[in-house]
Amino acid sequence: MSESETLVDFEGAITFGTIEMLLNQLRSSRDFQEMNKPARKRLYSIFVESIDNIFKYGMPQTRNDRVEGNMPRISVSRKDEHYLIRAGNLVDNDLIGELKFKLDRVNQLDDEALKSLYEEVINRESDASETGAGLGLITMALRTDKDIEYSFTEVDNDHSYFEMEITLNG
Amino acid sequence: MEKLTIESTLNSPRIILDPASNQFEFSGESRPENVRNFYMPILEWLEAFAGECAGKGKGGGDQPLEFRFGFEYFNSTSAKYILDVFKILHNIQEAGTGIQVKWRYEEDDEDMFEVGQEMARMSGLEFEYVEVEVE
Repeated sequence: MSESETLVDFEGAITFGTIEMLLNQLRSSRDFQEMNKPARKRLYSIFVESIDNIFKYGMPQTRNDRVEGNMPRISVSRKDEHYLIRAGNLVDNDLIGELKFKLDRVNQLDDEALKSLYEEVINRESDASETGAGLGLITMALRTDKDIEYSFTEVDNDHSYFEMEITLNG
Repeated sequence: MEKLTIESTLNSPRIILDPASNQFEFSGESRPENVRNFYMPILEWLEAFAGECAGKGKGGGDQPLEFRFGFEYFNSTSAKYILDVFKILHNIQEAGTGIQVKWRYEEDDEDMFEVGQEMARMSGLEFEYVEVEVE
């Protein structure tokens, strides 16, 4: 029989203040407290990086009518021994190519190759926001053995809703 | 040099850089709202300190400076700046002042141990690893 539990489930504008609230929810959930330390730290890391990713790639959450019904979403749930981290946000269609490239790349690489890529990206002297986003996805990929699943759902000619799902063994 | 101390917050680490008492420490969580703004003064302080060390031509029989790192967590954006810290420390060492890095990580936190090994490899410094019991 399968058992499932929701640790965090949030939909709405995410500001820096929201992050503390979400992290508190995660930390105070019983499942989180009962996890072994390595898994707990991995879940925490993937959760923070997922939120950071929404900040980096997400559309400004105000002054935009399209945001209606397409607010950022973040959730953590457990199904049996697996944890599922889901994050979604509206993105500019111009960013889809870059995001797809980076996601496919980290999904293809094994841990050793991910570490080489990590070193290459962390040492690259360029715009911090660009390298930051690359490092975030590499960090997430290093914390899980499974592929990062993702999808883009077109909202209009200029925007799509981007969702990503990461599975972690508990 | 004037010491630099920064108290920890929920999302930023505690930093002590105090040559007078030979205390150098980074600890806590690092995911500040503006990572660059948080780390720039620290990197600038270390660069100035590097210049001071080089000027003194310290080394030889002197005790190495002990830098203690005890991060519970840092996000990927912070990692870039933390690596910059180690690169400056490596330069200080290359210029003749001994540096000893103690990388503390919580018991069973294999990822933090591994991140330390990567930081050591990428910066060219040797770390001493200290597993710390918690609770």
